[in-house]
Amino acid sequence: MKYALKRILTLLLTMLLVSFLTFAAFELISGDPAQTILGTEATPELLAALREEMGLNRPFLTRYISWLAGFFSGNLGISYRYRIPVWELIAPKLEVTFWMCVVSFVLITVISIPLAVWSYRFVGGPLDFVRTAFNQLCMAVPTFFVGILMSWLFGIVLRLFVPGDFPDLHTDFGAALGHLFFAAVCLSIPRIAMTVRMMRSTVIGEMQKAYVRTAISRGNDRRAVLERHVLKNSLTSAVTFLGQTMAELVGGSVVVEQVFGIPGLGRLLVASISTRDYPVVEALVVILAFWVVLAGTVADLVNQQIDPRLRLGGDA
Amino acid sequence: MKKKLNAYLLAGLIITGALLLLTLIGAFHTPHDPNAMDSLAKFQRPGAGHVFGTDNFGRDIFSRVLKGSGTTLAIALATVAIGAVFGTLVGALTGYFGGIVDDALMRLNDALTAFPSILLALLVISLVGPGKYNVVLALGLVFIPSFARVTRTAFASLRDVNYITSARLMGASNLRILAVHMLPNTMRVLLPAITIGFNNAVLAEASMSFLGIGVTPPDASLGYMLSEAQSMFARAPWYALCTGGVIALLVFGAGLIGEGLQKMDREVA
Amino acid sequence: MLEIRDLHVKFHNRDREAVAGISLTIADGEIMGLVGESGSGKSVTAMSIAGLLPRKQCDLSGDILLDGEDLLHAPRSALRQIHGRRIGVVFQEPMSAMDPLMRVGEQVGEVLRIHTKLTPAQRKQKVLEVLASVELPDPEGVYNKYPHELSGGMLQRAMIAAAIVIHPSLLLLDEPTTALDVTIQAQILELLKKLNAEKGISMLFISHNLNVVRKLCRRVAVMQRGLLVEEGDTDQVFFHPRHPYTKRLIEAIPTRHGKETV
Repeated sequence: MKYALKRILTLLLTMLLVSFLTFAAFELISGDPAQTILGTEATPELLAALREEMGLNRPFLTRYISWLAGFFSGNLGISYRYRIPVWELIAPKLEVTFWMCVVSFVLITVISIPLAVWSYRFVGGPLDFVRTAFNQLCMAVPTFFVGILMSWLFGIVLRLFVPGDFPDLHTDFGAALGHLFFAAVCLSIPRIAMTVRMMRSTVIGEMQKAYVRTAISRGNDRRAVLERHVLKNSLTSAVTFLGQTMAELVGGSVVVEQVFGIPGLGRLLVASISTRDYPVVEALVVILAFWVVLAGTVADLVNQQIDPRLRLGGDA
Repeated sequence: MKKKLNAYLLAGLIITGALLLLTLIGAFHTPHDPNAMDSLAKFQRPGAGHVFGTDNFGRDIFSRVLKGSGTTLAIALATVAIGAVFGTLVGALTGYFGGIVDDALMRLNDALTAFPSILLALLVISLVGPGKYNVVLALGLVFIPSFARVTRTAFASLRDVNYITSARLMGASNLRILAVHMLPNTMRVLLPAITIGFNNAVLAEASMSFLGIGVTPPDASLGYMLSEAQSMFARAPWYALCTGGVIALLVFGAGLIGEGLQKMDREVA
Repeated sequence: MLEIRDLHVKFHNRDREAVAGISLTIADGEIMGLVGESGSGKSVTAMSIAGLLPRKQCDLSGDILLDGEDLLHAPRSALRQIHGRRIGVVFQEPMSAMDPLMRVGEQVGEVLRIHTKLTPAQRKQKVLEVLASVELPDPEGVYNKYPHELSGGMLQRAMIAAAIVIHPSLLLLDEPTTALDVTIQAQILELLKKLNAEKGISMLFISHNLNVVRKLCRRVAVMQRGLLVEEGDTDQVFFHPRHPYTKRLIEAIPTRHGKETV
């Protein structure tokens, strides 16, 4: 339990640091929010009144704390561009991107681990070249390119979904999930290839270790060695990698959402960056940072369950 | 001992070499003027005269792809150069000198690399605006941490190796040790990192241009062309296929080289 | 019981044979020692008996017969029966020889899981018994621990337990005490002697340490550069070595009163 608490504490401290740096950075960049909202023709009195109303005259720390508190109360300010509360803007899109990443993550995990173990049989043989080359190819094809092809094939030709017309998550979850599925597949393909590649080299490394020889000397055949011993020992690096993958998926979603017309966080992020909608960007940065750090923390906690040596606080 | 053929390296070099050559030639001469519009030749399928067909303005796609890959390559190489040079510098200094600075910097480094690179690049672009030079700046900055991490590990592990200690005892200055003794040895880790960095740069730039926050017209990278190609996919699928295919081939070739380098490394070890 | 006839082992990436023609016999219930310096081929010999050499990377010729059955050229399916069931192996470094993520009890019982049809509860029973027989003070506690939670000496006892729990015909020990403290070494040797006396398991004990071999083994064979240079009863070999190499090895043993002389 102690190690779990320690990790969670690190998570909270990191988030505190990140949110502080983000808030400070945007303070510097964004200039005068009142000016941005009212435009260049606003009179000094109007500007002063708005500044007072927005609480911009309060000390830095006070504003930071109230902004931070906003993440829990749902008040993150008003979007410059859309003039609606930031949280209202973000929440539905957050849901959509969240589900897409979850589906993608499940696909990646469920496919790459067995695939990596299965591909061990080709090591050293002639098929290894084919396998590795194919793996590289999967990593080489741009996600949005696959997206264009899939969108056309499954959307327009096969009519399995309507690109650009995303069903509402709350009214028809199934259809929405179906629409997300194709985007998730696009997102997953290169990550599956990367995970398989990484896991394969881990497995190869583990197979050279002394305990494998012991396992053979007890009568385990190669399959038993892989499944009963090596798999578990290879799992920790896979889990760490998958944690990073969870974080990377958000980056990939930016492009995929564009291709499939999915109203997610990615598109919002690009749009708000282009339009200098700082309150939105600020909030999104913190949310995404939290996502990344959370993924890493969960990965660490899972690993500590798998490998008891990690609970001692040192490296295995 | 028999020397086995490194198929990955060979195949990768052939593919990448061919593409580089074509792009280089394309910088000086293309079959058609990439910007020449010909309303009579709109939406032509690939065939004689137009190897990749034509687009909605009647422009020859093959010529556009040649020019576009030149832009993509230039951006990717410049990005990797920035990342590798500054990253190695940072990695060398922190890895060699170690201490609290090393620890702190590496923690910061880990935090940065955990974040998806395209999002970090987006942030930089939001400050400086789009355009090909800004893309190079943004991606170059974003790549520095990963190069720093890789080289720092290499330098730190070499720090206490025997011949370094004896060089120090003989009075060699730190700079000399770093440049003459350690740097060549980090090539082993640096080269694969460069191929991976190159690939990430190509894909990242393509994504950014596709989203409209990368290169701006009149510059046209392959990613930008793909965003154009998407809208006319039904009428002229060859535009997207050829453009996307070339991107994939570029990355595939470099990826094979990376695999080949890793394999070579394993065999020596 | 175990007969080795003219064994040759050559690795593809080396010029010289690792084992250049060895013939050896181990009788039922005997503890045989195999000594030599590093590179003498003693470990390779042991690994050939155990069937643990990577067949694709070396050339093997000769015969190894376990109770008359050919081991050296046995097909894969037969090897799996031999591994663990009829030949048990104890390796040098217990910490790395064990799966770090599997509890010790489960590993000790692994041969039972593979080769017998006992239920998990029955297996656990047997494991606890064998852990007690190797003089581990808290068998139940050890059963649930992970390898890194035990000391080297305790782990090696567990490794021995894992190898003998199924009563194999032969126990191969490849430098089992080299990585342990001297006091623990002595305890392990006593344990092995006891196990041999009580259960009658034949053992091949490999070491570069003549002193250790002398304390434990009834017969000893000396190897040098892939060849067998001397063989016989331990006392015979120690007090009346015939081969000059053997003499040198004996002379090199440090004692409290200076070097041992013959």
